Amino acid sequence: MECTWTGNQNKLPNITGYWKKDGNEIDSRLTVPLENEQYNLKGVFDIVGEESLGNYSCVFGSEAKIEFVLAAPQMGEVRDKPIVSYAGDSVVIACKMEEPKPKPSTWHWYKANGTDKALIDAAAEPHRYQIHSEGGKSTLTVRNLTQADAGFYYCGAVYLISTSLGRLEVRVITFLEPLKPFIAIVVEVLVLVAVILLYERKSKKKSITGSQKTKKEKRENSGGEESSSVRQRKV
Amino acid sequence: MAPAAAANLGYTPPDGGWGWAVVFGAFICIGFSYAFPKSLTIYFKAIQEYFSVSYSEIAWVSSIMLAAMYAGGPVSSILVNRYGSRPVVMLGGLMVGIAMVTASFGKSIMHIYLCNNAVPTGFGLAFNLQPALTIIGTYFHVKRPLANGLAMTGSPVFLSTLAPLNQFLLDSFGWRGSFLILGSFTLNCCVAGALMRPVHKQIKPKPNAEPPKSNGPAHEKAATEDTHAQSAGLLAEQEQSRSSRSQGCASKFVDWSLFRHRGFMIYLVGNVIMFFGFFAPVVFLAPYAKHQGIDEYSAAFLLSILALVDMFVRPGTGLIANTKWIRPRIQYFFSLAVAYNGVCHLLCPLVPGYVGLVLYAVFFGVAFGMVSSLLFEVLMDLVGAHRFSTAVGLCTIIECGPVLLGPPISGALVDIYGDYKYMYYACGVMMLVPGIFFLIMHYYNYKKLDEEERKRQSEAMRMRSGLSVRVEGEEEHVKMSQVDETADEADG
Repeated sequence: MECTWTGNQNKLPNITGYWKKDGNEIDSRLTVPLENEQYNLKGVFDIVGEESLGNYSCVFGSEAKIEFVLAAPQMGEVRDKPIVSYAGDSVVIACKMEEPKPKPSTWHWYKANGTDKALIDAAAEPHRYQIHSEGGKSTLTVRNLTQADAGFYYCGAVYLISTSLGRLEVRVITFLEPLKPFIAIVVEVLVLVAVILLYERKSKKKSITGSQKTKKEKRENSGGEESSSVRQRKV
Repeated sequence: MAPAAAANLGYTPPDGGWGWAVVFGAFICIGFSYAFPKSLTIYFKAIQEYFSVSYSEIAWVSSIMLAAMYAGGPVSSILVNRYGSRPVVMLGGLMVGIAMVTASFGKSIMHIYLCNNAVPTGFGLAFNLQPALTIIGTYFHVKRPLANGLAMTGSPVFLSTLAPLNQFLLDSFGWRGSFLILGSFTLNCCVAGALMRPVHKQIKPKPNAEPPKSNGPAHEKAATEDTHAQSAGLLAEQEQSRSSRSQGCASKFVDWSLFRHRGFMIYLVGNVIMFFGFFAPVVFLAPYAKHQGIDEYSAAFLLSILALVDMFVRPGTGLIANTKWIRPRIQYFFSLAVAYNGVCHLLCPLVPGYVGLVLYAVFFGVAFGMVSSLLFEVLMDLVGAHRFSTAVGLCTIIECGPVLLGPPISGALVDIYGDYKYMYYACGVMMLVPGIFFLIMHYYNYKKLDEEERKRQSEAMRMRSGLSVRVEGEEEHVKMSQVDETADEADG
């Protein structure tokens, strides 16, 4: 990693520069000369494992600080709203590492257990879990859902350096839940239809009790709208 | 134009009263028909993940549903001609409801295709659209453009409500529960159908019978219209019985005589070209905005602006079209609206940036609303309320092609040139050309219609005088008929 600083008002010929990792100083302090109106500080770090990841900063004297974040590729958009599914049904949840980011070597899935994460072993329970991973995408299928299956799931994109996690929530509900609004609306429809048709029958009866009673009956008996004199299409 | 159509009805439409309840019913039906397929796209991602299918397979659901809706047009027309609007709408509502409920239990993507497409949902929606439009023609004549405009407002209103509603349902119940609830929701079309009471036709009274049942304000109109439409009415009756006899067999399936109807052919040809460029700009508005670097929410907001403007323009256009200055020459109004659409699209690429797009959305909203509001009104105006049902059925199935091909072709244009402006130019041209075509053809058509109207009225007057003479005596009758013949020859 390389830092370049153009300095402040009093351009000192030399300034101390050093590197910090996660707030702690690493390596020894160096004296950085002013070259071409700039201070240049370069640091070479070996990435050996997960411990090598973190927040790096290069500091110039007590004046300037530049931050670097070294991390494994993070997952882009993971659905933050819970995925709703039904008891007895199955659910498919997916995680994706989009195109320009490097593909992980493998994918792991975990189920949250309180504050812990329990690794899901699809091979051990093939009738319940199925994991299908392909390059940058992985899906977990959970079958025969029960309330116990609800909660948070984590997908882990495994890289040599570390594992990148994404969190998804699964909610399990029974069919009774949507059934309630369904029945409510059906009842509303039936009631409205009945009211409208009854109102129509009533207003027809009212006009029938007028002097045009026989004429109306004749017309209605002949099948509604088709009168003999003028052939019209019923609309 | 207007007097001839009134006489052709054979009765006086209420133009109010229960008619407004019918307009409300039509509002609901039209809203469902247009907004439902579009709003279902919100569930696609969830269904896609659940069944592990690709996006293109899911997109078929939408296209097939739309295709079925258009293909169902003629079937719908036949049923409406036979049974009236009410049963067809209620059947349609039931079909969609049952289809959605069955789909909610679907175990594979094929179930979704079968339950959500072809016969059930698509046809069900077609069974809602046609009758709703037709029944307006039976209830209204004088205020028909306004009624049509109000009913067509259903589409943007429903789209604006269904979109967030569907999102809410998806988040609360997942896609299965949502389909179940949507199934019950569409049953409200049955309520709309219940409102579509078949209109009481005040048959043209034989000697001096009082018009039986009439709704309030129409009564006075009925009285006056009846008296001076008597003569024209008699002639019209003759024509009608002649034409309805010939339509006897053909009208069982397709009314081929419509293809010889000048106005209908103008409408059809113009519309086929127009629909290639009608819907594509709506579909590509948000992607075009995103392509210019605008964020997703602002891009979606553009569509909301469009829908909002559309919502107000439709009844407004109906109101304007109803005025005595526009109504007689409503076809010109329609042609101008179509041409205005074209101009909007041609100018769109010239105004980059978000402000430009907002302006475009507003102007396009006006254009879109105007054309949508008048779309069926002008057809009713051309063919009359009787043949409207069959006409609109034929139109929808023929327009099916351009409507479905329009967006993909535009998409291909975007892909080939990598720029949206060529697509907008193309759409602009595809709207401007029909607009000008309509203007020219309708000028010619109006002239012809005026000529025919003049002929008809002079014949009616001769008939009337011929009749009154008939009462007096035989010889006179012979003389009059001779005069008739010579007069006919003179007219040629």
